[in-house]
Amino acid sequence: MYTIEVHNLTKRFGSFTAVNNISFQVKRGEIFGFLGANGAGKTTAMKMMCGLLLPTSGTARIAGYDLKTESKQIKKEIGYMSQRFSLYDDLTIKENMTLFGTIYKVPKQELNERIEGHLTELNLMKHKDQLVSSIPLGWKQKLAFSTALLHHPKIVFLDEPTSGVDPIVRREFWSLIYKAAAQGVTIFITTHYMDEASYCERISIMAEGDLKLIGTPTELKIQMGVNTIDELFTHFVNR
Amino acid sequence: MNQLLAIIRKELIHIYRDKISLFLMLSMPIVLIILFGFTISTEIPNAKISIYDQSEDVQSKRLIQSLTASGYFQVVNYPKSEKEIAEDFSQLQIKAAIIIPPQFEKKLISEKEVELQVINDMSDINVASVIKQYIETVILNFENDINLTEFGKIGQLKVSIQMKYNPELNSVYMFVPGIITLIMIIITALMSSITLARESETNTMKMMLITPVKKIHIVLGKVIPYMALSFLSTLIILAISVWIFDMPIKGNIFVLLILCIVFMFTSASFGLLISAISKTQLDAMMITMMGLFLPTVLLSGFLFPLDNMPYGFQLLANIFPAKWFILALKDIMIKGATFIDIWFYVAVLLFISTLLTIFSVTQIDRRRAS
Amino acid sequence: MSVIQVQNLNKSYNNLQALTEISFELHKGEIFGIIGPDGAGKSTLFNILATLLAPDSGDVSILGMDLNRDYKKIRKEIGYLPGTFSLYPDLTVLENLKFFAAMYQSGIRENLTMIMPIWRQLIPFKNRLVGKLSGGMKQKLALCCALIHKPHILLLDEPTTGVDPVSRREFWDLLAQIKSYGISVLVSTPYMDEVTRCDRIALLEKGRFIVIDTPPQIIKDYKGKLYALKTTQLFYLLELLDQYEENCSFYPYGEYLHISFYQDVEQAVIRFRDFLNQNQINYNSFQEITPILEDCFIELIKKNRDVHH
Repeated sequence: MYTIEVHNLTKRFGSFTAVNNISFQVKRGEIFGFLGANGAGKTTAMKMMCGLLLPTSGTARIAGYDLKTESKQIKKEIGYMSQRFSLYDDLTIKENMTLFGTIYKVPKQELNERIEGHLTELNLMKHKDQLVSSIPLGWKQKLAFSTALLHHPKIVFLDEPTSGVDPIVRREFWSLIYKAAAQGVTIFITTHYMDEASYCERISIMAEGDLKLIGTPTELKIQMGVNTIDELFTHFVNR
Repeated sequence: MNQLLAIIRKELIHIYRDKISLFLMLSMPIVLIILFGFTISTEIPNAKISIYDQSEDVQSKRLIQSLTASGYFQVVNYPKSEKEIAEDFSQLQIKAAIIIPPQFEKKLISEKEVELQVINDMSDINVASVIKQYIETVILNFENDINLTEFGKIGQLKVSIQMKYNPELNSVYMFVPGIITLIMIIITALMSSITLARESETNTMKMMLITPVKKIHIVLGKVIPYMALSFLSTLIILAISVWIFDMPIKGNIFVLLILCIVFMFTSASFGLLISAISKTQLDAMMITMMGLFLPTVLLSGFLFPLDNMPYGFQLLANIFPAKWFILALKDIMIKGATFIDIWFYVAVLLFISTLLTIFSVTQIDRRRAS
Repeated sequence: MSVIQVQNLNKSYNNLQALTEISFELHKGEIFGIIGPDGAGKSTLFNILATLLAPDSGDVSILGMDLNRDYKKIRKEIGYLPGTFSLYPDLTVLENLKFFAAMYQSGIRENLTMIMPIWRQLIPFKNRLVGKLSGGMKQKLALCCALIHKPHILLLDEPTTGVDPVSRREFWDLLAQIKSYGISVLVSTPYMDEVTRCDRIALLEKGRFIVIDTPPQIIKDYKGKLYALKTTQLFYLLELLDQYEENCSFYPYGEYLHISFYQDVEQAVIRFRDFLNQNQINYNSFQEITPILEDCFIELIKKNRDVHH
């Protein structure tokens, strides 16, 4: 069963084609890595899948809903987290989680239980009333991920979630990703760390608006005759 | 100097490329003046008035005749005492009462000047302003009439109007200086400090600070283009008020422009101050609004006459330069004041500017944690 | 010869110690890398060295000049790229360059040779608004702007954060070129793979340098014996290992699990294999490997955290 089905999705801005006719599917509970150089069209493609931008042509079903006609339902079924914005600095941990949970209309009682569950898992229960501005970036990113999961979305979009985080926290973050995926959440992630690409079940590489390659990391390395994902990436992105 | 020019040039590019802000800055004075101009000068046909004639001589009767014949007024009562006037306001709902002083004719001939008292209904300042204009028109005709006929050889006669309750009425004289003040503050103080704070927020400030350029040049380079822009807006406002609203400028136009330039520096010094104390665009915005914009609107005599305010507020109004600027501007436009007449106001403005500039520059030149 | 000397530098903001007892030297013509996560204090250190922030205590001398006294002179000799993108998006490429040249009161023409290798790539876009450039191009232009006055020292605070791996590699090629002109470079990055290209590295963790050395020496000083295990059940295994009570540390590395053993390595490896077999973990290979810098840093950070907890 696919939670993301993309068919011939294209986005043009004037004469510039940002995303050119891309098609792929992502299974329920899969960790899908979406790689590509800056300006390759990743962000545009992600915006379309989140229902923030209408495609020029092509269709997609996200969590079973049509991209063009049912973007409201899509928004209820997805979670989103990015490095650039994750949580409000001037609210406490608890306030942030309550805010986002309430936005997604999680019933109050249920929401409190979920927040407690996440905070206990992250060992942050005793810090719940601390301002987000005062906590280390590593905690913040893990919290942001948990917050994105509060409304039990079917898909979570992660846009460079581990940028600037230390190598230990980065690995802890990936453990959280695996736990969520094991519970059936589809993970759609972009990253500039090539070792993280290996943690994905399947990856795709975009360059100049085209989806150049898609498959499991091992498959792709054999197919292209290279030893590392880094080489694979360089091969397609080199200008 | 080259650095300063480069910063000014860069700033002008920013202004030019941000078409929406540029459009707003240039259209704002036009919109404001048209808004004020047309909402304030509404026509009031057949306004009810009372006339208390204390002299009852030939000339006073002629004046009353002129007033009734003008078509502007409907004289509903001729009271015989000031107490009766008060009753007219409450019972007959008159908009104004005119009191002709005793020995009107005699004073007119011997002293060549006589004062009429006009008492206004304070509940509507705009109506009062219009009525004042009507009375002025009638009296002007009356003066011309008697000059030409009987007293032509004696020389100029003058009937002055004493506004009893509200001597400083809103009229074109009032709102034009007010608008010039607001525009100068918005463009010179607010825009320059906001864009300066924006640079701190986007980190381009760091790139500039690391260069050998003096910090005061960075700030001046910000302020100067906006000063120029605000001066341009001032010219637009003056042009519209003269051509569309027939605003008379009795004084010398150059004195008026010099006064505007002085106030432009005052606004710029506020821009410096706000830049020095605010770190974010939001800070700059809030400080300008609460610390400068609101006091200017409320305490400059622009919308609300100062005379009717509690004494404390009247005192407070003195520290805001807008009051002095508006006083000076009105003197030039209405009384035809020369530079010598307004030197005190100009001195106050220059004093405030110098004080603020010195304070801001010392604040800005301190190395600040970024 | 060193161009920057820092001794016992301390800085705190609102009761928060940002930098603690930082000491190091930047040698002439070297690339010195500072690696550390966001919030470790990198930007504070750069702001101090760029003369934008005064330290609480400690001695800093740059090109023989005292930071507190001669900061105006120092500014003429250093080029600086702040952490986040810091050019004017509504000005064109050429307008930005001209503007910063004017700020340094230096002409573009006489300094063109210096920036030519980078500028050449930007010429086709010189009339484009900077806001419309790609991330890699923006960084190259920023580098040009920081080099336009022929500085002796270049301070680059996370120049490659958020930039894709290929553009990052190109950027480091440019740094190598800049180094060849005799310019000393102090650069920070959160990417472990980039620091191999530095002559020396300092690892910054919670405001302290926990190691300063050359990359080969750091690898040589790695304490444990590092093994790599390749398995398709990586994260399942990690959960199991939560209960594994042995003196070893482990973490995923790409498709491998890295395990570091400290004492009695041979016995420990045998016990580990037993553990894998007991839990029916399939694995393709399990062998000793030479650590790379990231392994060293993980070890150093873990050790440092244990000390401070």
